[in-house]
Amino acid sequence: MEFLFESLRTALTLILALDFDVVDAVGTSLKVSIWSVILAATVGIPFGVAVAVNEFRGKRILITLINTLMALPTVVVGLVVYGFLSRQGPLGELSLLFSPAAMIIGQTVLALPIVVHYSLGAVRGADARILPTARTLGAGPLRCLIRLVLDVRFGIVAAVIAAFGRVVAEVGVAMMLGGNIRGYTRSMTTAIALETSKGEFAFGLALGIFLMAVALFINILFNVMQER
Amino acid sequence: MSALYQLKDIGRRYGTRPVLDIDSLQLQAGRLYTLTGANGSGKTTLLQILAFLQPPNSGNLIFRGLPVTWSRGVLRQLRREVTLLHQSPYLFATSVYANVTFGLRSRGIRGEKLRRAAMAALETCGLSGFEGRSARELSGGEAQRVAMARALALQPAVLLLDEPLANVDSETSSLLLQVIRSLPKAGTSVIMTTHDPRHQSDLNSITIHLENGCVVSNATSSHSGIL
Repeated sequence: MEFLFESLRTALTLILALDFDVVDAVGTSLKVSIWSVILAATVGIPFGVAVAVNEFRGKRILITLINTLMALPTVVVGLVVYGFLSRQGPLGELSLLFSPAAMIIGQTVLALPIVVHYSLGAVRGADARILPTARTLGAGPLRCLIRLVLDVRFGIVAAVIAAFGRVVAEVGVAMMLGGNIRGYTRSMTTAIALETSKGEFAFGLALGIFLMAVALFINILFNVMQER
Repeated sequence: MSALYQLKDIGRRYGTRPVLDIDSLQLQAGRLYTLTGANGSGKTTLLQILAFLQPPNSGNLIFRGLPVTWSRGVLRQLRREVTLLHQSPYLFATSVYANVTFGLRSRGIRGEKLRRAAMAALETCGLSGFEGRSARELSGGEAQRVAMARALALQPAVLLLDEPLANVDSETSSLLLQVIRSLPKAGTSVIMTTHDPRHQSDLNSITIHLENGCVVSNATSSHSGIL
């Protein structure tokens, strides 16, 4: 127990002293996660809304596929994107591997099905009178859709929060595509894995506390949004 | 007076179940019609067709002398002339003012003209001072009045009302009746469904009675009494 208490004390000291490595890993994590969620939301929200409001052949299969993709193991996403970004891969010339950009691409792939799934669910659960009401008031198709999205905005925000929660806590993509380079691509999760394996338990614990705080904040936000 | 709507052999079914089968019906502009009939007689479906929200499966609908083609561009224009107020109207999750101005904004109206139209509609419906309130905090009667104000703000050529007085208190009911009665004089034709025979006489309307999707009588209540 003494080991745990001593580690906790050291971890809190590192946090309060704003240790460079701790702050850097937290900054990298947040930067990469925020960008990947912005990209996933830009593509995923319109896509989810489009799937929800349109009837087409294969819609059920597409929804099943989206739901399946939500459970994709992070290392599999890392592996596939690695294949594309590695020197021999189709995007190898861009030299993105082991950079924050590569991490953002991987995490975007990870976040996308989550954003689509929750956006789709929010729109499907919306009041069926929204679109007919907007139409009968003379709104065009785009204005109708914007009104629909605004009326289910809490569900859409919940989609974004859920996606952020998923990517900020993942380790597979960050490790495989970022390479855990100190001061460059080292994120909270990769730093925890590496430093703990090196015996730096207190350092890992400090980052773990940050990660838990982020997770707690996201969960509170998510619950508030769902209740609304 | 010119025919506002002409319906010829209009048929509508849901799956294999026929819900509307109207051989011929003409509705004139500047009049007030009440649409009566039992539940499932096709009243709401008829309103949906008249509001250009769903096409009939067969037959022709003519609006102001022109056949309705049900193409997207045409529908958008037609829907700007006709407004349907649903039985339990939906208010957007925003302020009362934003609700009332929604249709006006869709028509490109902005600035002082927008504000004046919205405020006048709110005042007509006894809602002055409600503009800043959230639509989600309103009582059922208030919500019904906001929906009416939202429709009136557009000054539509035709206002279709699906049982607007079904779920409101007597005070709201008399206010809405008064508003509805005044509409034809202001240039808005009204077609309203109701179950309450008193509304037909109160409004001195022309009654169209539906049974199993067919028009079985078509008369002015002041002449023929309650049907």
